[in-house]
Amino acid sequence: MITLTKSNAEKDVLAHLTAENTALEIKNLDLFYGNKQALYNVSMKIPKGKVTAFIGPSGCGKSTLLRCINRMNDLVDICRVEGNIELHGTNIYDKSVDVAALRRRIGMVFQRPNPFPKSIYENVVYGLRLQGIKDRRILDEAAENSLRGAALWNEVKDRLHDNAFGLSGGQQQRLVIARAIAIGPEVLLLDEPTSALDPISTLTIEELITELKKKFTVVIVTHNMQQAARVSDQTAFMYMGKLIEYSDTNTLFTTPQQKQTEDYITGRYG
Amino acid sequence: MENLNINRHISGQFNSELESVRNQVMQMGGLIEQQFADALTAMADNNVELARQVRIKDEEVNKFESAIDQACSRIIAKRQPAASDLRLILSIMKSVTELERVGDSVAGIASMVIENSGEEVPSLIGLENMGQIVLKMLHNALDAFTRLDLQAAIRVHNEDKKVNRQYESIVRELMTFMMEDSRSIPFILKVLAAARSIERIGDRCQNLCEQVVYLVKGVDVRHATKEEINSFLAE
Repeated sequence: MITLTKSNAEKDVLAHLTAENTALEIKNLDLFYGNKQALYNVSMKIPKGKVTAFIGPSGCGKSTLLRCINRMNDLVDICRVEGNIELHGTNIYDKSVDVAALRRRIGMVFQRPNPFPKSIYENVVYGLRLQGIKDRRILDEAAENSLRGAALWNEVKDRLHDNAFGLSGGQQQRLVIARAIAIGPEVLLLDEPTSALDPISTLTIEELITELKKKFTVVIVTHNMQQAARVSDQTAFMYMGKLIEYSDTNTLFTTPQQKQTEDYITGRYG
Repeated sequence: MENLNINRHISGQFNSELESVRNQVMQMGGLIEQQFADALTAMADNNVELARQVRIKDEEVNKFESAIDQACSRIIAKRQPAASDLRLILSIMKSVTELERVGDSVAGIASMVIENSGEEVPSLIGLENMGQIVLKMLHNALDAFTRLDLQAAIRVHNEDKKVNRQYESIVRELMTFMMEDSRSIPFILKVLAAARSIERIGDRCQNLCEQVVYLVKGVDVRHATKEEINSFLAE
């Protein structure tokens, strides 16, 4: 149960985030697909070294918001963004920002595992090779560290040069995570990373997420509320393009402040 | 529990599971209230037969506790309740434990009536009065739980002080009896145990009311002072 004092203290974590502990700050973000507005004035701070989950019904804008964080929406012609997203104080929508460099700092993993048609090893070091790194020792070390970081090393160390498509779905997803962390990002964006996986693989990934936050800031979009409750430190509930409630996960799942949040997480009619 | 909107889940099955467990709690509460009233009547009228029935019926109370706990654990396993649903299940599980213990205290009062039958026990007017006050408290606490009435819960919570004062005065009275006639000590000790049982039921009513506050507001006031509770409610 929550005590009088504890619930207040927990809320203060988000309220009193220092600039140093803030990985990302979203400021008054509006997003339009053509004439249709998909995000309305979203403002939030995402703490460093924590797992932040976005939940909400389909079409609420949670994936759209996630994609804004590494400017994936730039790829959509009719998409227009107003407002700022600051990564450690720098606006990522500033004209001077190199988007490729930004995406090295903010990695992304998608719903369906998308390994390249190459070996396990080549998948992991792909980003490093693109950066022009050729030194075999550096590549080997990065491959091992990343695969260990993605909790996959023990399963693949004897077949690093086999085709990545031979891995199971859960292993492929961890391989993709290994590929994302190989280039040393600061933030990892996970867009429904387990929705195509079986329950055991899902638990492995969830366990991995808890490990990942020791080194990275993790932002996860999930349809699975229990997953958000299990893995995240903060949860944001979105509905129809608006950020309805954002607080620490323990509070949001036991004593949400907004009726819309309550209705959604308890499975009631809105 | 209208404001909990139990019936608004998308899953109709979940609605009916919650509805069913809530009905069982109400039935259990009604049974215990009746048991307590019967025990008090048995005590006032020295009605040994009624007291025996109360003791036998305590089995039913125990069965309710097991059945409700089982229903709650199934809901947790299958539905993973969150927010107000979670608080409802948790507060039901805790309240049912309190109610079962009220049942045990009531059985204790009935035992006193049976064991002291035929003995010359001094008049127990003070004890009967205290019993009636606590019976009212129990009724109101169950009512507050059913209607999720925060203010009613706080009122019942505050009543317990009165009961504690009465208990102290009964203890003093019984001590006087024991000093006057040492042969009465064995019977008086049983009366004292019954008085203690009634006083404990008052405490359990307080605990029930704390569960109402947790259920409605999501705040744990079990170890809060009266001032802390009042200032929280004023917010």
